[in-house]
Amino acid sequence: MFDLLPHIVNGLTLGLLFALIALGFMLIVGVMEQINLAHGSLFALGAYVAVVLLGPQPPLPPGLFEWWVGQGLGMRYALTLLIAPMIVGLVGAVVELALRRTYGKDPLYGLLLTFGVAMVIEEAIRSIWGTRDYSLPTPTTIAGGFIAGDLIWSTYRFYAAAVAAGVILLTWLFIEKTPYGAVIKAGAHDSEMVRALGFDLATLRTGVFVLGTMLAAFAGIIMAPIWGIRPHMGVDAVVPAFLVIVLGGVGSFWGAVVAGLMVGLVVGLTGAYASEWSLLSMYLLLVAVVTVRSRGLFGKKSILEA
Amino acid sequence: MTPSPHAARLVTPMMLALGVVLATVPLWITKIGLYPYLGVEILIWSIYALAYNLLLGTAGLPSFGHGAYFGVGAYAFGLTQLHVAPGLWVCLTGALLAGALAGLVVAAFISHRRGIYYAFMTIAFGQIFWFMAMKLRDLTGGEDGLLKIARPPVDLGIAAFDITDNVSLFYFVLAAFLVVVVGLWRLTHSPFGRVLSAIRQSETRAAHLGYHVRVYKMSVFTLSAALSGLAGGLFAMAQNSAFPDVMSLHHSGYVVMMVLVGGGLVSFWGPVVGVVVFLVARDVIGAVTNTWMLWFGLLFILVVLFRPEGIAGAWQAATKGVDLKRLRLRGSAALAQVLKV
Repeated sequence: MFDLLPHIVNGLTLGLLFALIALGFMLIVGVMEQINLAHGSLFALGAYVAVVLLGPQPPLPPGLFEWWVGQGLGMRYALTLLIAPMIVGLVGAVVELALRRTYGKDPLYGLLLTFGVAMVIEEAIRSIWGTRDYSLPTPTTIAGGFIAGDLIWSTYRFYAAAVAAGVILLTWLFIEKTPYGAVIKAGAHDSEMVRALGFDLATLRTGVFVLGTMLAAFAGIIMAPIWGIRPHMGVDAVVPAFLVIVLGGVGSFWGAVVAGLMVGLVVGLTGAYASEWSLLSMYLLLVAVVTVRSRGLFGKKSILEA
Repeated sequence: MTPSPHAARLVTPMMLALGVVLATVPLWITKIGLYPYLGVEILIWSIYALAYNLLLGTAGLPSFGHGAYFGVGAYAFGLTQLHVAPGLWVCLTGALLAGALAGLVVAAFISHRRGIYYAFMTIAFGQIFWFMAMKLRDLTGGEDGLLKIARPPVDLGIAAFDITDNVSLFYFVLAAFLVVVVGLWRLTHSPFGRVLSAIRQSETRAAHLGYHVRVYKMSVFTLSAALSGLAGGLFAMAQNSAFPDVMSLHHSGYVVMMVLVGGGLVSFWGPVVGVVVFLVARDVIGAVTNTWMLWFGLLFILVVLFRPEGIAGAWQAATKGVDLKRLRLRGSAALAQVLKV
């Protein structure tokens, strides 16, 4: 049992990260009933923008450049976690404008469109940054490792898991406990009524989409030191994201979190005994669960069933 | 697809014309700056795209992991050649059957699903096949792929042709292409094809009419996977190798893009048009810039948004004097049916 413990811990930390990757995807599916296949590309874009901001030559106007480079790495890293998602959020706003024609139609329509968008963003990344791998400079306080129970643990993974848990909680609080969240949820259920009450539904949807995009970019930055930064990382992220959503049940917030943890555990445990097959295990998990429970673990009936 | 005056015929004038034009391709393709192998590639991808469109365009079933069956066929061709028998017909049969088997298994899992869940499951299964190809190194060679696949001679019993050079390979693949075209044309214009169209328009209605929708969905998926496997087998033979790459999500996406851009939703020939545009664009634009996929991706977005009838639809409007507005309505209606809007 004790031999298993490190793998369980690793699996759970990984699970929180999977849940974080799926969070923005889930928000857009849950509220707008749009499948955003570009989620992974926006995730990758977040990591690339962070690399530019934290790199030695960020493209900033002279005065700002001196100030930015003069900051310590810790400060710049913290600011990057805020700024990079905002920059990627602008791209998300453009994507949302293109998606407007698909509202009220089957989610497959949006899926096709965002597939094209994913292709375009990924190719843009390739043409700007090339195909080589990048790494993200992280402050020394969260890099490195520590020893506990005769094992070396990566500090960064714990930091990343804690941040993921924090952001998941904040998102939940925002959706469930604030008036903004209430309007967003109402907009998903009864758009006519929300419009009649005087809310600008178009702006609301743009806002939700941008928030989802920012969460994707944020997850990209957090995952960057673990997965590395390369053009393919978008696909590596979007497939687990939809998998977590389907597994947890479309429309269920905690379902997705539980599914994320489950996927993390399964990947972590397979990784311990058959590392080659660790990524396959999550697909087998999905097939097994969905064969028995067609709506996933906690899914409700939704328009996604068509 | 609307009934056409040639529907009942085995061979239509269009097929004959296309066959004749294609047969002359090796005579002029090098003169316009391209190369014979591109012709081979276009024909193989056309078989694949037509097989895919049987599922998407005719039956309205969106598969986003179809590269899996193309890849399974490619590996099956190579493995049959290396481990079972080197003959061409055995290897191609192996590719066809392996594709069919993989398709049948997946279809059994997903055919009671609809819409987005159907699409999701095709992606999940596509990824499973891709991972297996990557990880079953002893069998597939992992990322290095399966190398040294030979092009066996075409043995017709009375005579045998060598297809190691690209021009003779082209004629062999052309023959395979024409056989598939005739078969698929007959199929889509048969009662079976009509039921598939009915399912595309409304699964519920088709079920109420007494058709076993699930059986039809399984059959068409298996058939489409089998023909994709055949295309994959031809591809492995043409490339002399099989790689996991063709099973990736990207490659699965390419066939969707080709079919939609070409106009597969309103035209039997749409997928072929899409393949030609895609592959020629890859070579011509790709020679100038590395970002050609970016431009093709933008084209795809615009087609989905504004021109669901695709290039073949625009062509029909130009040549047959079909009112573009009506055609566009047909394109939107077809897309709407596939997407159950």
